[in-house]
Amino acid sequence: MTRVLRVQLLRFGLPGALLILLVGTVALFLDRGLWSGGWMELAMEQRDHLMLLCPLALAIGGWLARREHRATVTELFAGTPRPQHQRVLLTLTAVGLPIALAYPAILAVSAPWIMATAEYLPSAAYGVVAVGVLAVIASAWTGLAVGRLVPSPATAPGLAVAGFVAVLAGPMAFREEWQSVLASPAWAMSPWNEFQTVPAAVSAAQAILALTVIVAAAVVLSARRWQTRSVAAAPIALGLVAAIAVMPHDYDRVTIDPVAQELVCTDDAPRVCVGRAHSGLLTEITPKAREALALLAKLPGAPTSAQEDTDNYLDESDIKPPPDGVVEFRMEVGPDGRLADAGHLVTRMLEGGGTSFANCTEFYEIPVARAAGSWLSGRAPVNDPEEAGVTFDDGTPYTVLPETTALWEKLRALPEAEALAKVAAVRKAGLECTDMTGLLG
Amino acid sequence: MRYLGLHLRARRIPAALAAAASGTLVLWTVVAVFSEVPDADISLVTLLVLLLAAVVAPTLGGHDDALDRTSALRWLPRRAAHLLVALVIILALVLVTLLTGARFGPAALVLRDAAGLLGLTALGAVALGTARSWFLPLAWTLPVVMTPFAGASVPLQALTWQTQPHDNRTAAVVATVIAVAGLVAYGVRGSALRDIRSAA
Repeated sequence: MTRVLRVQLLRFGLPGALLILLVGTVALFLDRGLWSGGWMELAMEQRDHLMLLCPLALAIGGWLARREHRATVTELFAGTPRPQHQRVLLTLTAVGLPIALAYPAILAVSAPWIMATAEYLPSAAYGVVAVGVLAVIASAWTGLAVGRLVPSPATAPGLAVAGFVAVLAGPMAFREEWQSVLASPAWAMSPWNEFQTVPAAVSAAQAILALTVIVAAAVVLSARRWQTRSVAAAPIALGLVAAIAVMPHDYDRVTIDPVAQELVCTDDAPRVCVGRAHSGLLTEITPKAREALALLAKLPGAPTSAQEDTDNYLDESDIKPPPDGVVEFRMEVGPDGRLADAGHLVTRMLEGGGTSFANCTEFYEIPVARAAGSWLSGRAPVNDPEEAGVTFDDGTPYTVLPETTALWEKLRALPEAEALAKVAAVRKAGLECTDMTGLLG
Repeated sequence: MRYLGLHLRARRIPAALAAAASGTLVLWTVVAVFSEVPDADISLVTLLVLLLAAVVAPTLGGHDDALDRTSALRWLPRRAAHLLVALVIILALVLVTLLTGARFGPAALVLRDAAGLLGLTALGAVALGTARSWFLPLAWTLPVVMTPFAGASVPLQALTWQTQPHDNRTAAVVATVIAVAGLVAYGVRGSALRDIRSAA
């Protein structure tokens, strides 16, 4: 048995698994900007790539079934005393095992990229990966089963395209998000931000469905008669009912993990805090945040600590102003897992004298706020790289630089005390959310 | 007539035609039932053409290509005709949907993708053999459909020619080059003879 398994593994499973490993790793590498923020993002982005990996696994299964068929030894093997289901079990293991290992292997190869900066590893991430593993096994075994039933040379490519259409268009046939999530393991997996999570119940429902497909494919493969094969419909039906029962029907694709949002702070003053999802970047951010706090110190009522704004802006009820004496900042993680636009963090924190647009969208005047920030730092205003690619309605690149620079020049020309009073007025307007227009004029 | 009948049988054309027709019907039904607009999304149009090109792939060789070549027949016009007829059939199958409530178009896009993907399949057959001829078109097209590119960079437009708008010149040039290269290479050389046992 083991010898047969080894031959089957080398001939069948291994080439397919290597292909999946290669495609999955290259896809993750090309997309590294999307998942460099943490482990949960990595797990989710890899699930997003099931759009490619599932059709690939289907094609591998179909191709291997065709190869078995081409060997024309079915009758010969049927003449041996070993029961059919044992032989099928060998093939299923030889195909399923390496492919199941290839999926976490993709993670293992990609993990070093963010190993130094990613710290927060929620248990929900394991669920996300487990569903991915089950989904590729289910695809490969379904490919084997369909390839066995329809041993045509067009089966493998046909399966690949059909699988791709199913994963791409299947979820769009449903109106409710929870239905779409059951229709495709890749749906809604593109990470929105680092605080996102996938509830355990959602992963459980998807896992149940994938497991039933796995069982159904095994039944179809080991059965010899159509009557027995039709039994495969039973686990599918049962799994569908169970998955629908387990699935939370109010599921939203952007579910925020409150633990990831919790603040992790420095022990020594002045205190600097970031969300738990970004805790690995605290040492990188602390000196910059303290530099900004030092520059803000000359303002009356200056903030004494800094913290990351972890609010989820898709949900209005989640937007909270910072506590008194705290300056908030938003941060992005770059494709290398480190702080993106590191040189601009101080500039952003000084904006409006340590106030933020997010807490006063109505009256906040960005040129006024930025000119005030520039005066505090003593450096000329620059374009924020985060706004690169943003355009006005007429297609010209978005910039407030000319207005900001003009206001900053005016401020610079004033005596120190007078300018400080104006910047303090801007800070007051930003905190109390009153009109900023003309405060520097 | 007798030769034509034998050729069609040897290349398993009836099965391929049945598969092509049913694949088109399935995708057409998907769009007709679920889409809220009559025109199919460009990715679905590309996927349908890709499916049809993949169905054509196994017909690019017979049961024993080495034996075929021992016959004193002029293969070049036969192979070229085989590809061109396949192109016409794909176009007919896809473009007939333009008359219905779920349209796979526009025609220029279908022509470009069909010619390009058939050429790619033919190149695959020349390089890898009939059984593996679909590797190339699928490996190129599926990632492109997954990550469409809408920018102005010409090299990237060329790389994603399958899903560019129908009036994109770069994509049209790339598809034409691939189509002609596939037609010439397959016409002159035919399917590679490697691994005859798994061919078809």
